[in-house]
Amino acid sequence: MGGGAPVVSGLGKGLGIALQAGIAAVLLLLAWQLAHGIGAFPAAVPSPIDVGRAAGDLLGSSRFWTAVGQTLSVALIGWAIAAVIGVLLGMLIGTIPLLEHASSVLVEFGRSFPMVAILPIVILIMGANARMEIFLVALSCFWPVLVQTIYGVRRLDPAVVDTVQVFRIPTLLRVRRVLLPAAMPFISTGLRVASSIAILVAIGIEILTQTPGIGRQITLAQETAHWDVAFAYLFFAGLLGWAIAGGLSAAESRALRWNRRREG
Amino acid sequence: MMLRLPAARWIVLLAPPALVLVLWWFLSAASTSVFFPPLSKVLDALVRDLMNGVLPAAALFSLGNLFAGLVIATAVGIGFGLLIGETERLRLSLEPLIHFARSIPQVALVPLVVGAFGLGAGPKIATIALAAVWPILLNTIDGVRGVDPSIRRVSRAYRIPALLHFRRVVLPAAMPQIAAGIRVALPIGVTVMVVSELFAANQGLGYYILHSASKFMLPETWAGALLVGLIGYALALLFIVVERRALGWYFRSGAK
Amino acid sequence: MTQDDEALLRVTGLTMTYGTGEKANRIIAGLDLAVRAGEFVSIVGPSGVGKTTLLRCLSGLLTPTAGEIRIVDELVTGPHPDIAVVFQDYSRSLMPWMTTLDNVAFPLQGRGVGRTERAAAAATYLEAVGLKGQGAKYPWEMSGGMQQRVAIARALAYQARILLMDEPFASVDAQTRFDLEDLVIDLHANLGVTILLVTHDIDEALYLADRVVVIAEKPATVVDVIETGFGAQRDQVATKADPRFSEARARILNRLRVQ
Repeated sequence: MGGGAPVVSGLGKGLGIALQAGIAAVLLLLAWQLAHGIGAFPAAVPSPIDVGRAAGDLLGSSRFWTAVGQTLSVALIGWAIAAVIGVLLGMLIGTIPLLEHASSVLVEFGRSFPMVAILPIVILIMGANARMEIFLVALSCFWPVLVQTIYGVRRLDPAVVDTVQVFRIPTLLRVRRVLLPAAMPFISTGLRVASSIAILVAIGIEILTQTPGIGRQITLAQETAHWDVAFAYLFFAGLLGWAIAGGLSAAESRALRWNRRREG
Repeated sequence: MMLRLPAARWIVLLAPPALVLVLWWFLSAASTSVFFPPLSKVLDALVRDLMNGVLPAAALFSLGNLFAGLVIATAVGIGFGLLIGETERLRLSLEPLIHFARSIPQVALVPLVVGAFGLGAGPKIATIALAAVWPILLNTIDGVRGVDPSIRRVSRAYRIPALLHFRRVVLPAAMPQIAAGIRVALPIGVTVMVVSELFAANQGLGYYILHSASKFMLPETWAGALLVGLIGYALALLFIVVERRALGWYFRSGAK
Repeated sequence: MTQDDEALLRVTGLTMTYGTGEKANRIIAGLDLAVRAGEFVSIVGPSGVGKTTLLRCLSGLLTPTAGEIRIVDELVTGPHPDIAVVFQDYSRSLMPWMTTLDNVAFPLQGRGVGRTERAAAAATYLEAVGLKGQGAKYPWEMSGGMQQRVAIARALAYQARILLMDEPFASVDAQTRFDLEDLVIDLHANLGVTILLVTHDIDEALYLADRVVVIAEKPATVVDVIETGFGAQRDQVATKADPRFSEARARILNRLRVQ
């Protein structure tokens, strides 16, 4: 039965996992290659070898790197805007129970609203450009950051609340050295989720509106039936999102070492 | 400040959205821009197309696909999630791959799937399922792993057969996490549902919005977006209600 | 019960009622208490009698329904600069993202004391509670007993005239409890701070205090006061072997058993 993690620390564990994942990946790729070989997929689906070759070619083309840069910069700016506004607003709402209650309907509505539904309207108003992209990315990223921040602030331990009150800690100090650090684990989860959303939304918008970036390259590849290139772009898009999420996760663990103890 | 009166709580809860609507009404009524039609016109278009059956038909198509896609995603996600969660070796090797797969932009899959498999409901359902399965899968795995070792030991000590163990121990214990996964999958599903109708489609809510926009029928475009938003919100609320009902034991035990 | 004009802390007619009308729940009714400067008073009573409620009122976290709390004639209406609190739940009241030194210095930071000054002060207090040199550690790197010492050091750093302790040793093991009790006695003797300690442990109440106030009944009120008279020097073995100790313990037990 599962449930017990192997007790191997640090680098050794990382390598072990990478190896097992690598083996699994290779097996899946082999299965794909076989299925392609016997014609199980429609003509549009390329073989892994084709995709691999296309991926290699892409790495050497400036068009690829330009597209990556475009998507990344839009995602980053949108994410940053959402992060600042989301955290500030979240901390404000989270600390005032009345405000939290009053905003709950709007927040719940906002977070479940599919941004793609207003895409046609936003394109009509703002045009299909980077500014529109950044706006929609920021709008999409705002909600997870806001919700997680509110949640984190509300979860402040009653014992900490008592302490801060009894020792009459002034408000600014309280926010800076108690509220923010205490909510950090949740805020960083929100920021991490938002980062994945940022990339996905940016690429999604590029596909739907043909604004420059990875998404546009994918559509171009499809339109010229270069399915291997399209798949290669998909692969890199996935890699990008995965790497960013992984990187943020690692940074989070490092910075929030104290949090692991707390859950004990 | 404590809101003791239930009536007061309701007022505070509903006043802000009501205020937003009122503000929207008056600000848009004075608007001269064709892109911001008055709310009155938007609501007119909404009611009109609801009454004449256009929107209900579109909603039925879209929601039908959404439901089918989510059911598939849930079944596959929970099924595989239970298996992978229980088998440590499988989990270690597959989890990085699953995380990679979920990072692939779901929106990008739509044109590929449509290009490969054509129009119709089938590919749309498949794409929704393909996009929604990842959070459910990952959360199921987490839920299974999170089952208290003491509880597992009870099953071992009393030699409970595997199927019963899964059905009455592991699955219920993992349910709160699985529910959280489904809750995350819902908006993803709704998004892909709309996107799948922006490409090569001739029916559905996404098609309605796009079609109205391409014809510069702004009130209809806004109406469609509003309806989609309301549906998304209603689904989220519905899910919370169902979750509270089904997982009563979890919430009552004081878990947050 | 001493109606002493020199009382540092004076509580008169403290009443705490939750709810109104028929569902009103009176936790505390008409409680009077006076503490002289430099005294060590312990408040003992059965679990659930309302000791924590009393303490929350005294520390300004809870506003009583009726009655007054005064510190040298100044009315207490909220957390007061002359009252420092050591909570029962010490591990959760320490900030896990701050080092021990930062935790202890925090009340001083709240008062606007500069960095070097408060670091030096915090180090002094850490040494006073027997944790010299442990400033760089994090709370979660320490045992329960050490964490409680940090919480005590922090309360001392607040430089208040009264130290309120809410069942501070309830969650530590017996051996650690004896060490911490002796620590508190030393602090009281060396620093001369006025201490008000709430506990359910009769032995602890008698061992530590100059005066024991017994709280019982529903609603809670003062049912007995005992001057311990054991002097400033206490010893875990000798003091508890003193016949007056057993007498006092019996007296309190009997009083509480009458419920």
